Amino acid sequence: MDVRGVESSSQTRGAQGPGRRPHLPYLHLRLWMYRHGKTHKDAASVRATHPIPAACGLYYFEVRIVSKGRDGYMGIGLSAHGVNMNRLPGWDKHSYGYHGDDGHSFCSSGTGQPYGPTFTTGDVIGCGVNLVDNTCFYTKNGHHLGIAFRGLPPNLYPTVGLQTPGEVVDANFGQQPFVFDIEDMLRELRARTRLAIDDFPLPTEQGQWQQVLHRMVSSYLVHHGYCSTAQAFSRATGQTIDEDIASIKNRQRISKLVLSGRIGEAVELSRRLYPGLLERDPELVFLLKCRQFVEMVNGTDALCDDPDQAGTGEGIVGEGAAGEGDGAAGGNDLTTSVISHTSRAPANGEHAHTNGVVLPEADRHDVDMPAANGTHDESEVCSRASVERMLAFGRELYAMSQKLTQDQYHKTMLEDAFSLLAYSNPWDSPVGWQLEPVRREAVCEALNSAILEWRGMQWVSPVEACVSHSRDLLRRMARASLGACAFADLPALLRR
Amino acid sequence: MSFETPSSNGNTKPERKYYDRTKSDDLQISRTDMNMLIMNYLVTEGFKEAALKFQQEAGLQEPALCSSLDERIMIREAVQSGRIPEAISLVNALHPELLDNDRYLYFHLQQLQLLELIRAGRAEEALAFASATLAEAGANDRNALTELERSLALLAFPDPHTSPFADLLLPSHSQKIASELNAAILKMENQEYTNPKLCSLLRMILWSQSELDKHNVKYPKMTDLANATIEQPK
Repeated sequence: MDVRGVESSSQTRGAQGPGRRPHLPYLHLRLWMYRHGKTHKDAASVRATHPIPAACGLYYFEVRIVSKGRDGYMGIGLSAHGVNMNRLPGWDKHSYGYHGDDGHSFCSSGTGQPYGPTFTTGDVIGCGVNLVDNTCFYTKNGHHLGIAFRGLPPNLYPTVGLQTPGEVVDANFGQQPFVFDIEDMLRELRARTRLAIDDFPLPTEQGQWQQVLHRMVSSYLVHHGYCSTAQAFSRATGQTIDEDIASIKNRQRISKLVLSGRIGEAVELSRRLYPGLLERDPELVFLLKCRQFVEMVNGTDALCDDPDQAGTGEGIVGEGAAGEGDGAAGGNDLTTSVISHTSRAPANGEHAHTNGVVLPEADRHDVDMPAANGTHDESEVCSRASVERMLAFGRELYAMSQKLTQDQYHKTMLEDAFSLLAYSNPWDSPVGWQLEPVRREAVCEALNSAILEWRGMQWVSPVEACVSHSRDLLRRMARASLGACAFADLPALLRR
Repeated sequence: MSFETPSSNGNTKPERKYYDRTKSDDLQISRTDMNMLIMNYLVTEGFKEAALKFQQEAGLQEPALCSSLDERIMIREAVQSGRIPEAISLVNALHPELLDNDRYLYFHLQQLQLLELIRAGRAEEALAFASATLAEAGANDRNALTELERSLALLAFPDPHTSPFADLLLPSHSQKIASELNAAILKMENQEYTNPKLCSLLRMILWSQSELDKHNVKYPKMTDLANATIEQPK
């Protein structure tokens, strides 16, 4: 795509930050000066459509000089909104440029400062803005020329200006590889930020720091019901556990059920252990039931509240329920997936992923059942019955959703769940993500938080509150145009 | 910033929500990632029993326990229970040059030994020990001198546990030294990150907050890390 005739100075094209792709992958930006410019008043600049986003941390673009034209009066740089586009960048207030004919840098002034070499046909000039310290640097053919401007204002637009006939340049906003090694610079900025974080002075109560960390680890372990770990940690550090062990173990049992997809049993157990909890929280019940519906499609949950089902497991993997022995186990036998006889994507791997829960051998069987079931002769009969049960359950679910305050979130959740029925192989469908075991975590967390709140305890663990607060702080930094946030990589920190 | 004061007025408790994690957010932190964060802490700080239990309970992969983990656990236990000479000889057996190179750390260990003598009420031995082994470190390093003075000041009180310097006798003090020593050993063994990730996470919060403060941006500020107390801007 050629942008011909810069004489229409408003002609602009979108720009993207380093490493990102423009909307049009083939975008090719060529500026071609063909009108006869006699004086500097005949110059014309082209500006990007969008200002440089501060949150990107480091912004960079390159310009290849295809032809220097008659005199090579070319300026590459930045300008603020509203700057006169009939001038080369750098001459006016809030405009900054590096000019090819003399190699000078122009900082909002008609007189330049000696800065770098001149540039001409065949050269590639890069312009970079460091949004951490608000400086601008240039590169020529991949060599860093040093800092040209300091104390830049926010919201500048990449700008290229030409003056004499025959000047032709191509701009590269990242749609092609850069000549300059920008990745190396990004790495350095990231490393510098990481160092600033890792060396950040601790608050004055340094003696308490260790205690803070121990407290956080301990509260996390208790929060999620990792009971014996919490006890071992408590023995080693002297951290006190504020909740009694039996109560932690109860929550652990419920969490395990949810995380292995046995929602019906989890609901049953919660009702027994915390009478009144679910009754006062219809949204939570809806969330659980919705998940239960998804697990029915998955073949990991049965309708526990249907009395007909207990013991009618038709001899399929009878030992499934033997292990748990908490009364609600009867429904286990019927972990029948209606879609079990259809082909599953072999590489699904969801069964191998136990979602952080160590299942007893018997439980594993349950989760694996759909596959085993598929080979069973009676699966056809069995599945028709369970389709009907599932539809009945779905109707109940729909009725329940009508009673809740109508919000988009609930509506979408229900629609997504029902959509699973439209596919012969739901695991391999556009809505198949719902079947991933990792999706159980949110439900598990919701139920666990509700129990904790109900029992008058903190419903979110401080470590997790810290993670989400940290994420929020980085977002606020981005909104406040603090470029440093681009190099504080929270996910990388958590995974390194 | 305080770690001890429980949540005070001015804090708004965020409303409990169910769908934080269900959003398809590429920054979403899974339970596994959180568990790994905790596991990383247990392993780098040398809590072996807890680490192994956690691996079982949370269904994690075998933690990559460092070769020196057992030694580090023994050293940590020795330091925390006040058996300093034993800890020093264990460290010397593991890395003979470590304490020679890090004199300040060595001073901290000896200071702990001094504190043990003071705790036991053996004032004369404590003074003799201080002048024989600690005076040299105090003469070379201002920080060490101040700490030495604080330690010996405990002797001036009939009950050191109620003195203004009682913090030195708390378990948190020896735990802090134990962690310093642990980090020094890990560094010696070229472990890339000696700080637990959890530490970096908290530092990232402190760093972000200070960056926002510097630019006069208003934001909900976490004032108490241990309880994750957040104060809304006024």
